[in-house]
Amino acid sequence: MSKKLLTWLLLVCLGYTLHAQDRTGSVTGIVRNDMGDPLPGVTVLASNSETGLSSGTQTDSSGIFHFTKLPVKGRYSFTFSGVSYQQQTLTGYELKADASTSILVRMKNQAGALSEVVVVGYGTQKRANLTGAVAQVSGDVLDRRSIPNMTQGLQGMIPNLNLISTDGKPVSSATYNIRGGTSIGQGGNALVLIDGVQGDPALLNPNDVASVTVLKDAASAAIYGARAAFGVVLITTKTPSKGKSTITYSSNYSIKSPTYVPQIESNGYKYMMMFDSAWTGWNDYSQIPAGVNKTQPFSQAYLTEYAKRDADPSLPKVDVGSNGNYVYYGNTDWYAMLYKKHNAAIDQNLSISGSSGKASFYVTGRYYGQDGIFRYNSDDYHMYNLTAKGNIEVLPWLQIYNYTQYTSRDYHNPLNVGEGGGIWRNMADEAHPSSMLLNPDGTLTFSAAYTVGDLFYGKNGINLKNQVFRNTTGFVAKFMDNHLRIKGDITYQNTDSAIKQIRVQVPYSVTPGVIAYVGTTTNDLLMGNGKTQYLATNIYAEYENTFASDHYFKALVGYNYEQSVFNNFNAQRNGLVYANATDLSLALGQNITTNGGYEKWAILGGFGRLNYAYKDRYLVEFDGRYDGSSKFPSNQRYAFFPSVSAGWRLTKEAFWNVDPNTISDIKIRGSYGSLGNGSIASYAFQELFKISQSGRVINGVRPQTTSQPNVLPDGLTWEKATTKDLGLDISTLNNRLTFTGDIYTRITTNMFTVGKTLPAVFGTTVPKGNYADIKTNGWEASINWRDQFNIAGKPLHYSIGVWMSDYQSTITRYNNATKLLTDYYTGQKLGEIWGYTNDGFWTEADNPAVNGPTFQPIFKASNTGKWLPGDLKFKDIGGGSDGKPDGVVNNGNNTATNPGDMRIIGNSTPRYTYGISLNADYGGFFFGAFLQGVGKQNWWPGSEADVFWGQLNRPYNFLFKYQEGKIWSPQNPNTYFPRYRGYTAQNSQGELYNAQTRYLQNVAYIRLKNVQVGYNLPAAMVQRLKLTGIRIYVSGENLWTYSPMFKITKNIDPESIGKSDIILTGTTNNGNGNNYPILKSLTLGLNITL
Amino acid sequence: MLRNKKYLIWLSIGLLFVSCAKNLDQQPQSTANKDVIFSSADGLQLYANSFYDVLPGINDVFRTDANMSDYGARNAVPDYIRAGFYNSRQSSGWTWTALRNINYFISNNTNTKIAQNVRDNYTALARFFRAYFYYNMVQKFGDVPWISKPLSVTDTALLYGKRDPREKVMDSVLADLNYAIGHLSLSADASRSQITKWVAYGMKSRVCLFEGTYRKYDSATSSDATVKATANQWLQDAATAAKAVMDSAGFSLNNSNGLDLSYRNLFISTAPVTNEIMLSSVTSSSLAVLNDANWYYTSSTYGVRLNFTRDFINMYLNLDGSAFTDIPGHDTLTFWQETQGRDKRLQQTIRTPGYTRISSGSVIAGPPAFNYSYTGYQPIKWCLDDTYYDNGTLNTNSVSQMRYAEILLNYAEAQQELGLLSASDWTKTIGALRSRAGIANANTMPAVADPYIQTYFQRWNGGLADPVLLEIYRERSIELVLEGLRFSDLLRWGMGKLLLRPWNGFYVPALNQLMDLDQNGTPDVCFYQGTKPGNVSGVTYINVATTIGSTVNPQTLEHGTYGNILWLVNGNPGAVWNEWRAIYPIPYNDLQLNANLGQNPGWN
Repeated sequence: MSKKLLTWLLLVCLGYTLHAQDRTGSVTGIVRNDMGDPLPGVTVLASNSETGLSSGTQTDSSGIFHFTKLPVKGRYSFTFSGVSYQQQTLTGYELKADASTSILVRMKNQAGALSEVVVVGYGTQKRANLTGAVAQVSGDVLDRRSIPNMTQGLQGMIPNLNLISTDGKPVSSATYNIRGGTSIGQGGNALVLIDGVQGDPALLNPNDVASVTVLKDAASAAIYGARAAFGVVLITTKTPSKGKSTITYSSNYSIKSPTYVPQIESNGYKYMMMFDSAWTGWNDYSQIPAGVNKTQPFSQAYLTEYAKRDADPSLPKVDVGSNGNYVYYGNTDWYAMLYKKHNAAIDQNLSISGSSGKASFYVTGRYYGQDGIFRYNSDDYHMYNLTAKGNIEVLPWLQIYNYTQYTSRDYHNPLNVGEGGGIWRNMADEAHPSSMLLNPDGTLTFSAAYTVGDLFYGKNGINLKNQVFRNTTGFVAKFMDNHLRIKGDITYQNTDSAIKQIRVQVPYSVTPGVIAYVGTTTNDLLMGNGKTQYLATNIYAEYENTFASDHYFKALVGYNYEQSVFNNFNAQRNGLVYANATDLSLALGQNITTNGGYEKWAILGGFGRLNYAYKDRYLVEFDGRYDGSSKFPSNQRYAFFPSVSAGWRLTKEAFWNVDPNTISDIKIRGSYGSLGNGSIASYAFQELFKISQSGRVINGVRPQTTSQPNVLPDGLTWEKATTKDLGLDISTLNNRLTFTGDIYTRITTNMFTVGKTLPAVFGTTVPKGNYADIKTNGWEASINWRDQFNIAGKPLHYSIGVWMSDYQSTITRYNNATKLLTDYYTGQKLGEIWGYTNDGFWTEADNPAVNGPTFQPIFKASNTGKWLPGDLKFKDIGGGSDGKPDGVVNNGNNTATNPGDMRIIGNSTPRYTYGISLNADYGGFFFGAFLQGVGKQNWWPGSEADVFWGQLNRPYNFLFKYQEGKIWSPQNPNTYFPRYRGYTAQNSQGELYNAQTRYLQNVAYIRLKNVQVGYNLPAAMVQRLKLTGIRIYVSGENLWTYSPMFKITKNIDPESIGKSDIILTGTTNNGNGNNYPILKSLTLGLNITL
Repeated sequence: MLRNKKYLIWLSIGLLFVSCAKNLDQQPQSTANKDVIFSSADGLQLYANSFYDVLPGINDVFRTDANMSDYGARNAVPDYIRAGFYNSRQSSGWTWTALRNINYFISNNTNTKIAQNVRDNYTALARFFRAYFYYNMVQKFGDVPWISKPLSVTDTALLYGKRDPREKVMDSVLADLNYAIGHLSLSADASRSQITKWVAYGMKSRVCLFEGTYRKYDSATSSDATVKATANQWLQDAATAAKAVMDSAGFSLNNSNGLDLSYRNLFISTAPVTNEIMLSSVTSSSLAVLNDANWYYTSSTYGVRLNFTRDFINMYLNLDGSAFTDIPGHDTLTFWQETQGRDKRLQQTIRTPGYTRISSGSVIAGPPAFNYSYTGYQPIKWCLDDTYYDNGTLNTNSVSQMRYAEILLNYAEAQQELGLLSASDWTKTIGALRSRAGIANANTMPAVADPYIQTYFQRWNGGLADPVLLEIYRERSIELVLEGLRFSDLLRWGMGKLLLRPWNGFYVPALNQLMDLDQNGTPDVCFYQGTKPGNVSGVTYINVATTIGSTVNPQTLEHGTYGNILWLVNGNPGAVWNEWRAIYPIPYNDLQLNANLGQNPGWN
């Protein structure tokens, strides 16, 4: 496949070579910033007023640009423009035939970057003329970092682009959220477009990224219609440069390790003592456990013997007991067995760019490989990218181009067949430090077989392979002296996701010489292939002109059509002939499951935009789109979404006479628009009879079955997101200090949510409908300072940027008349945590045995509901008439209007998210640091968060080091955790199960996301090596973090507190924070330009 | 030229728009639509397969009695019968999805392209399951709304209506069962996994016996004379339906494995024993459908550690047909002594001396395991002998849901309630079951009541005098033990208070004795108080002191240092029974949604 592709790509590149012209000269130049660094990606426009010729190129990665074969006639002027730099024009160049003219350009930094060109929907715009809320970063924020996928690298870089990481898996890719609360109905994330076409950014080569633009408000996103209701992220990739070919090779090598690993007590005797304490505590000290969960038997005699063995390390750690079974006295640190100390990653990138005459090309290839963190059955990750782009000027007014991207990514996710699910949860349940990995004869122990032993055995896992092939062909035609441009493109994208899952039983031994197995029903192989064929086409025309020098007009009109067809095929069969079989042909069992899968959707839309500016002072923009979507019934299929925005540049007013070096620019912006949310599930309005396989054996087979379809919603219509935005841009002190800020309100109305809850006799899910509204208020602001001063005659440049954003969402309409707290309700702030207030521990004097059951009847500290000193006491703060304490702690009606003694004790929405970037360079050295964090956020660990609760969750879970010494006892009455009783955090009536003030965590954090130091080798030295540039650097990710939660525990990374291992277990949650760790890394890198 | 080009462009855009707009009509392809399902017999079959999920799951039957029964001790007293531990907020099961699924099918199964008898057959199947669904609902909640069509959002009268009286609902249940019996085309199914006409008859006998005896003996219904008067009609229906199975269905008791195994084989066979099993949850290793009975009945942590009380074990007759409790000094007989010469079903129900297990191919001793059992009477009815099956969902035995023995017991009980049980009826039913258990004189009807069971079986309003009925109760208790019918039997007999019987175990003559339960030469268990008297390999030491440390010990001996083992009697958290507990409370949230439902008596 890939060989074919390569051949094809070569042909494409060759095809761009063209013929030359007579009497021409060439121009070569280098563009540097005011620090002397070469600037890649600067657009250079050569124009000749006599011949009318106009030609453009871009600087390559060394800042070099070339124009070859420019006709020798008249004078040329060259205009340079680049992201974050002031545009400048050099005029009056006369070329000589067959000679080369050199140009050296220094671009001036422009902190306010008012002339910066910003990518907007279907075009670009000068920042000065922007009226919508748009933020943009250049691709360099991804440079010199070791990031498994681009989404992970983009985190925290753009104000209010909220990429909340789920865990540290290399395949984990956060959803793209812009400005918080979207829809609690259909949901909805930002539309992510790569070069104008939908794609998965996690599969993109980060080195190919030229810029990332976020269209935040309705006005700027409206051009994309129904899919853009919650903003748009535009990722633009680098384009071919013209002129001499350059080859850049970069490589880096990283050492990684988890940021935080749960620190377990590995002393088996201490673990066992505390297990016994937690277990009997829950059982009212009236029973003795017979086993430590499933895999280790327990008795008082065993514990007595363990004490002896613990005191005398010379005694053997494994014995064979009277019943002929192994007896263990281990001290196993299972996390040390699970993870490698370090894992390595390597990133290799080669890029070739250049041109020949009117054709230019850009080809890059990248390999990124990351070793897994697991010591056994390592979860290795590989990603390959190949990009080829070519432009050709067919006619003076017509340019055509072709972009091809190919990505292949594979990841091996080891599995546990014992109980399925993520390894962390299985370890909590069965990896007892008192046991060990191997028996003396080398077989696995029972505990190990359920946990790390399965990885050690090394046969079970899922291989995930994703491949994307994408090809875009398009044209740009320019008419009327470039006032009218018509552009069109068509993209075909094929995405394949293949899965292969092998599950075989894992052998272990409880009795010497006797092998048993876990996972006996799961001896099977699953192979699946999902294919998405996606087609998108755009055609649009843009007219731009200035009349009477004061009236600037720009109009855009276009048409867009997209369709996507998904086909899936899965086959699973049991009965693998031998444990290493990897092909379905070797699965011979009778349990065969096959699944198909199909989805097709199509959208089409006509769109338009009109910009008008008067004297650059008053700016107006109108956008509109008429959208059609196959996901809606025919009577609701089409809808029109308009928006408007306007700006006022105060500083352009005649009355404004402040020194431009003090305040150079002030712009006030405002926008209003509403967009439909078309991201609903396909076929939501049709009766579906889903086919599935019965779990029962009926007449010798497990037959296929179907059942009643969902009741159809009546009068389904579009959810609508309406955004109001007010923005301010200020540039002062000669552009050294700049500020951009926005406040906004986004109201999502008619959200598609559950209908009014009906009595259960209805017998099926209540049909959804457009029943709810939500309102999100927020703001974002960024401030940048950029300056330089001289040290020893050389300039030291530095810059500091700080941004912060915040939002909060409130439900303004919902079908929950009684405001039951088990559902959303009108007036609810999203993320709010209802809980009880703690009042310390019961003491002897309180007589808990008598008073506990009557005072706090809804809680239990033990199986039979007995209370003892050291158990948690709650505060009676309400529930009585007029909200006064009523002498009982309860949840009232469990409604917001009568919550009993519950109050809102916190909020899980990340508030005041911020980023701080620092950059400096001096001579050839450069330094950069980026900090990122959340200012305010609460986390309730919740049921099954065993990584927080330890044995308070289930008595056989881990005992954590952080808990030792913090557990109540008569000798230690003023401490953090109550009387040691298992199941109290896991049982729904348990005293630690319900949210409460005492154990609510503050997970605000600040994190040094990236820090880098590097050196550009001096030009003289580089030239001696016949090279253009060499750069070496050291870079670190996630090296330092602080969170107030660390005062309690460092078991959990504050960025990884979410659902457990969602890549593997989907939405079923087996313990918050029980996750693949987030990794920190140290990277050494090299960059060579030929 | 330029103008033409422009036209061309606009024309092509226009064409593009029109042609693409057609693509906005999309139909799902990986799901079926209504027409496909209801226009062919295959479609009906596909849909009908979903009805089977109304039946108990493969792990449900052998757990039902463990959750609530009079004859089992377990790790804790069920919350349902603990004062203050159960109310409408804990209640659940007010779930109607299965009913709507059935009603949706019945209302749409009208396509005349399919032959009438084919459609009727599937409607009969649907109505069988609707009857089964309602039978369970009525048992649990008493009065329930009768709904016979798929409701729409606007059916407010039904959605927010009151409940219908159970008598009215049960009439409809009976009508459904009669329709099923009349229209089910399947009359034989070798796999024992499908609903046949005979299974419908069997279900009718079960349902009618329940309803007849419930109306006769429940504290609430039996005090309503008009309702009580209808009981006999139901009992007649029960007898007739059972008789139909006995006369024409071709089932018989399994006697093909000898006295020691014929009974147990019904519960440990991979394939249902076809002469006796009428309906079964079938396992299949090759289809990876297995159950976890061994795990449930041997793990010290996984299940509830259900084990029988001595009071129940005492019910098993001696092989000579006499009552065990007639033996003088029977109450001080040790485990080994009391298990000799008893009804052959005892050794096929619990671990008795001689029971052995298999571990990695070799035979090992199988005494009652005190890391599982509290009383010494450890069930083996659903368990396979190989220890391989003990840890996980590995059991390959199919789980019976209805068998011929039950039909015989239904028949005997209904006939006796009607006063019609003849000597030949006895021989065909109770006599046949006792003969299979190796009991002598099985066919002799008792003339006087056995005082032991007469004391045991007490209705809420007093004791029973009918010696035959008492023997039928004994027989039903023993024959159908752990088959999931016990709680329902106790309720229809008006005997809910039997759930309060103390949990006692076998007789321990003295402390600190190494007891060899299976008399195989190696001691198995030793009871002590305070300090463990030794550390003999393979012996489980059990502390029966009244307190351990400062806490009350739940496991003690009846007379302190000797006597029957008692579990959770000393320091028992306290069980309670009120006659209104025969009906569960309507769940709190459901009552909130529709106050017209009203709460059941006693639960407010």
